[in-house]
Amino acid sequence: MKRISLTLFFTIMALLGGLSSEIHASDRVTVVLDWFVNPDHGPLFVALEKGFFSERGLDVEFQVPSNPNDPPKLVSAKEADIAVSYQPQHYLHVDQGLPVVRIATLIATPLNTLVVLADSDIKSIADLKGKTVGYSIGGFETVILKAMLNTQGLSLDDIKLVNVNFSLSPSLFSGATDAVIGAFRNFELNQMDIEGRPGRAFFVEEHGIPPYDELILVAHHDNLKSQNLRKFIDAMEAGVRFLVNHPEESWKLFVRGQKDLDNKLNRLAWRDTLPRFALRPGALDRARYQRFAKFLKTQGLIKKIPPIERYAVELN
Amino acid sequence: MNNSTKTVAGQGKRSSAPSVILENVSFSYPGEQIFRDLNFTVKCGQWTCLIGPSGCGKSTLLRLISGTLRENFSGKIHFSDGNSQNGRTAWMAQKDLLLPWLSVLDNVCLGSRLRGEMSHEKRQKAISLLEDAGLGEYGDSLPSELSGGMRQRVALLRTLMEERPVILMDEPFSALDALTRLKLQDLSASLVEGATVLMVTHDPLEALRLGHRIYVMTHRPATLSKVLIPPGSPPREPGDPAIVSLQARLLHRLVGGGNP
Amino acid sequence: MRIIRLIFIAVGLVLVWQTIVLLTHVPPYILPGPLNVAKAALTHAGPLFDHAMTTLFEIIAGLLIGTLLGTLSALSMIASFSLKRWLLPVLVISQAIPVFALAPLLVLWFGYGMSSKIAMAVLIIFFPVTAAFYDGLRSTEPEWLELAQVMNAKPLSVIRHIRIPSALPAFASGLRVATAVAPIGAVVGEWVGSSKGLGFYMLHANARMQIDTMFAALVVLGVLALAIYFSVDRIMIKIVYWQKEETE
Repeated sequence: MKRISLTLFFTIMALLGGLSSEIHASDRVTVVLDWFVNPDHGPLFVALEKGFFSERGLDVEFQVPSNPNDPPKLVSAKEADIAVSYQPQHYLHVDQGLPVVRIATLIATPLNTLVVLADSDIKSIADLKGKTVGYSIGGFETVILKAMLNTQGLSLDDIKLVNVNFSLSPSLFSGATDAVIGAFRNFELNQMDIEGRPGRAFFVEEHGIPPYDELILVAHHDNLKSQNLRKFIDAMEAGVRFLVNHPEESWKLFVRGQKDLDNKLNRLAWRDTLPRFALRPGALDRARYQRFAKFLKTQGLIKKIPPIERYAVELN
Repeated sequence: MNNSTKTVAGQGKRSSAPSVILENVSFSYPGEQIFRDLNFTVKCGQWTCLIGPSGCGKSTLLRLISGTLRENFSGKIHFSDGNSQNGRTAWMAQKDLLLPWLSVLDNVCLGSRLRGEMSHEKRQKAISLLEDAGLGEYGDSLPSELSGGMRQRVALLRTLMEERPVILMDEPFSALDALTRLKLQDLSASLVEGATVLMVTHDPLEALRLGHRIYVMTHRPATLSKVLIPPGSPPREPGDPAIVSLQARLLHRLVGGGNP
Repeated sequence: MRIIRLIFIAVGLVLVWQTIVLLTHVPPYILPGPLNVAKAALTHAGPLFDHAMTTLFEIIAGLLIGTLLGTLSALSMIASFSLKRWLLPVLVISQAIPVFALAPLLVLWFGYGMSSKIAMAVLIIFFPVTAAFYDGLRSTEPEWLELAQVMNAKPLSVIRHIRIPSALPAFASGLRVATAVAPIGAVVGEWVGSSKGLGFYMLHANARMQIDTMFAALVVLGVLALAIYFSVDRIMIKIVYWQKEETE
């Protein structure tokens, strides 16, 4: 009698244990960020802290790349499920044969800006003639500058280009450059304010560049059928909604998880990034994406324009 | 040509070569007393050989005379003509010490070059010395192209070029094979006329061939034997019976350390 | 014949490379095959050449200045013992600090032009040259110095005719090492802030995911480094003419 009840007991325990792991089964999703964690990733970390991912059975791991060029390569090599990438660079990646597809938008406006010191005598793009412009190598700077200068009838020969690597605002402060391109408007301008030497911005999309999404999410095109991707986007959208409805509380959630990011610069950047998050991350404006593709082809950066489904989709 | 140039080496400063006089010389390395109140005279114009077991102080004595060793030294070392020792000795070591980047001719002229006294005459003198020694074709060669015996020959010529009244030699031929050694002994004897020579050797036969006066140095602190003056003038024949018997006596002195 | 041997080695390496690519199916945006790289090199031959010339200039200028500074420093350390005590720690520190950390400082002091890249190359070259030459000067055969003393040599003559020539073989080894690492200095300098040169071009191609072009620049850099090394080697053999090479 005792032996039978013991066996029964253990069997039931095993079944319950098995069942519970069934119920709480999570799928692991690895996401490689574009850079160190920063306010641009707000919705993702709010979603994480609020449990929006785990609610949908996703166990999300965020990774920081050692090299900013790695994330799309990692997804292409199936070492990660999702990468944070840039819409402009995305076309180049696809053109070079990387099997990546845009599945969602994180930041729905450009962040790239041409910045000058507020007291500079450069009041319009035309004033850039003969000036020194600093940049970091991202692959795009010359294209953006060329298009901006063209709106005023100038060419790249009218300016002097200097690679300042990532010291954008320091080079403005030291006078080594008159203007810099590649600064992110939500960060650099706040940084300059904090340093007491405010800057003035020329937003690229207001000076000849077609509008684009600064930050997007990409996945491997073999993986698009996976339900996890759709769930991820839904959780991310829940994160954006929460952020928009509860901005103060969202900030607190963000820094709870990333304590070392609780500083003045990030606070100010948070405030300035808020209006730029894609409210409907999964949605795709096909014409807008194709327009940017045409722009890149005209500038000679890509050899051909692929059909939209090859590089950007709305997941079901 | 050869006859006249043979005497070239004997002219100049060597015509009145002084004696080297050591009075009450004491010298020690840390923990080792090499010389204590040593009194010794190297006779002027003669070839003196110093023979003894390794480590007894022969090379040290040469260095005290040349001036390269000055610490821990007491007593007096001077030349009989009253002039200072400085710049009046020439040195020949066991190694040829030829500078590998200089040609044979430049090596012979090394002293002049280092003193900044190079001249056309000096070069000519070096060339004729080389010819004397049978190395006339090798003037422009590098030392690495010469055999060991030839290189030591060049070293000898370099020593003679200095025309110094006192010549100090530290086992100069010991690294050579027997035949080359004999030839070089003959060559040095012929070229060195008139100078005061002090030569250290461990080879009794060599001492007997070349030396006017031979001393055996033994014990610690070093003591010198009575002088041995072989008959006839150097270079003497190795096969000469007198030389052969003296060789036995020298060896006996070396081994026993006493005066037979 | 050395040239034939070099060609064999190059062909061998290319074959190994192609085999790796074929066997591992590695995608071209991670490791492109030699044919793709060759195509990219031909397509971008113009810019590659221009950037190569810039980097070449930086390396050679760095070598010349670095060698000059190095030999002067070594000579000063031999001449003055107190100078040696002050200079030696500086020397060691210059080697220990990773060049990458110093690069932004150099850009700050020398600007964004070529001079900061040359300064980087000089930093990398300075230590091997100085240390080797100093060592050579220090270990002059004592019996030569003794002979010179007996000959009443003038002190400057001893340095010029004995110490320096005898230290040249050591100097040559130091210079060979320096030549092999000089390209690193120039390229790292270009990474930090430049608009020209192979290092800059590699970053630029990488940012555009043009990995085959990046590798083409890398190959050109490798060829450049080899060419410079062999040239310096030849020059050193002429300068240290009395050292016999081992016969093949």
